[in-house]
Amino acid sequence: MYNFSVRYHDGRLSIAHDATLTLMPDHWLIHYRDPSGELVSARWALHSIVTDENFSNLFIFRYGEFPQQTIECKDDRLPETLKKRYSEKVFFKRRITDIFKLNNTTIVGVALAVLALMGLGYWFGLPWLAGAVASRFPVSTEVQMGDTMYENMIRAYDVDERLTAVTSDFAKAIDFKTHYPIRITVVKNKEVNAFALPGGRIVVFDGILRKMHTKEELAALLAHEVSHVHYRHSLRNIFRSLGGYLFISLLLNDVNGVVTVLADNSNTLANLTYSRELETEADSKGMAIFKANGLDLKGFVDLFTVLKGEHGDVEALKLLSTHPLTEDRLRAAAAMVKGQGAVRDDGDLERKWEVIENELK
Amino acid sequence: MEQQETRQLTFHGEGAKLFGIYIVNILLTIVTFGLYYPWARAALLKYMYEESEFEGSRFTFHGTGKEMFIGFIKAIGIFLGLYAILFGGILSQNATLMMLGLAVFYIGLLLLIPIAIHGALRYRASRSSWRGIHFGYRGDRKELLNTFIIGSIITLVTFGIYGAWLIIELRKYIFKNLRFGNITFSYEGEGGAFFWLNIKGYFLTIITFGIYGFWWVKDLFNYYVNNIRMYQGETRLAFRSTATAGGYFKLLIVNVLIVVLSLGLATPWAIVRTMQFVFSNIHIDGPLDVDAIIQTEADYTDATGEDLADMIDIGIV
Repeated sequence: MYNFSVRYHDGRLSIAHDATLTLMPDHWLIHYRDPSGELVSARWALHSIVTDENFSNLFIFRYGEFPQQTIECKDDRLPETLKKRYSEKVFFKRRITDIFKLNNTTIVGVALAVLALMGLGYWFGLPWLAGAVASRFPVSTEVQMGDTMYENMIRAYDVDERLTAVTSDFAKAIDFKTHYPIRITVVKNKEVNAFALPGGRIVVFDGILRKMHTKEELAALLAHEVSHVHYRHSLRNIFRSLGGYLFISLLLNDVNGVVTVLADNSNTLANLTYSRELETEADSKGMAIFKANGLDLKGFVDLFTVLKGEHGDVEALKLLSTHPLTEDRLRAAAAMVKGQGAVRDDGDLERKWEVIENELK
Repeated sequence: MEQQETRQLTFHGEGAKLFGIYIVNILLTIVTFGLYYPWARAALLKYMYEESEFEGSRFTFHGTGKEMFIGFIKAIGIFLGLYAILFGGILSQNATLMMLGLAVFYIGLLLLIPIAIHGALRYRASRSSWRGIHFGYRGDRKELLNTFIIGSIITLVTFGIYGAWLIIELRKYIFKNLRFGNITFSYEGEGGAFFWLNIKGYFLTIITFGIYGFWWVKDLFNYYVNNIRMYQGETRLAFRSTATAGGYFKLLIVNVLIVVLSLGLATPWAIVRTMQFVFSNIHIDGPLDVDAIIQTEADYTDATGEDLADMIDIGIV
């Protein structure tokens, strides 16, 4: 019962010998007839026998220094016999890859679990990680990085110097309660859009200015964008898309993709969308700025009305969209207006708004 | 007339098993933040090798996750260094430094290719065996680097035309230095023929709206395989491909359907089909004495090249 038929390779020549393996108490004995008919035997001391880790039902053992001798055995009873014969030596370690030997249902189950885990990691783990990294990023580096991105992307736009000057002047009259250096650029573009870069650069399209009717709307827009800067939302987004790319490249085994993300990111900032939570956070910080400056919160309501008219809100898309739809934001702002106390009428800001309005004509 | 001896490799892998390996690999790689990756690769290679059979015996991949992990760390270090230079240049906001950073980055990346090919071949060959006989690669890194650099410069100067000759040159060098025990190899391709093959393939593919592409890939595969020679002592053996455009068409169309319709989940089945296609279309003609291959190669365990090649995505041989 301790005899098994095996194939033996001596490690010197590629010939395959049909041999008999005998399990002796402290060693293995392998004997075979070489092509000339002579009986040859090899002795394997127990402690130097190495089991080859594999996925099939072929049991492979190696012995000695390079070049190693090898035996291959197809007999299913071998592992059981080895366990009984040599209680002190473990030939077959339990490995995680043993699940491959299980049935297909288990494999499918594991596969689904993996997919679920990957989904969780991507949708929840990644944003959390991006936030954690972003919050530890030094402000000076962030400002420098934002400026570099700004230099790269602004070339693609037509900057309106005069509007930039008057809008910056307008912004100076508001205390945004942030330690970031806020710098505003107005560009000529019909789209109703504005976005913030990390470190305090804000780009406003003149299309959105033309839709505005009151100074509070502009103030609301700026307060909202400054809040994205203040809470490092775009930095978080960059880390997130970078993380997402890393994650996918890891899966697809493609490191080159990471370079592409870094190169492209400054250009895609204009199209970045923030998650619901980030938009809501920026809205509430923006409203806090309004309160501190004694501005009328109705500006937010009007701004959202402008945005709503522009993008057209479809209630049915609510679940699909990652944006807090303007309708929701409008409602939240309207609720805030009701709770607001005295409003100061800021003549200085009003005059600056009139300058902008004149410039737009 | 004596019947010509011919031999083939067979692939016994199963999609389901390969799928299991992929899934476990991905899971462990994620859980360990990528650190498991080398072990994942080792497991995959081990599986692919042990399902490959020649003359009744399976191949073995002897590489271990541990060896490849050390290589992995070194390769990551090299990449981080290059990226640090690149970003240093970009963040400096100084035009000269930026250009310098970019130049160092891309030249570094270019130089890494031959270094990676060399390292990967040495490691992979040394860790591959059949019936206990190991493969080996005896190429010289400096020589390969020189060939590659000079070839790249000529390729640039000739607007890519020399690329065909460079590829053949590299194949010749690699096969010349490949060993399987005392068996040696050579590659008999010629740059000119390879160049025209590509020119013909390129234009006909455009003219036929891609349909000729199947013939083109078939031609490339055949040109690769049919020019490999193997020598056992005085005996010369030739590799012969039986791949057809129709065969390629069936392989590629079905694979695309499998991958797309399963949203990528069934990729392992596509890989198995590809392996079977490749193996079933390669014949080794000639009187090979499969019992008389003598062990000649030494052990080599540095996996840095293997990991580098993996990162820049070079498929070897």
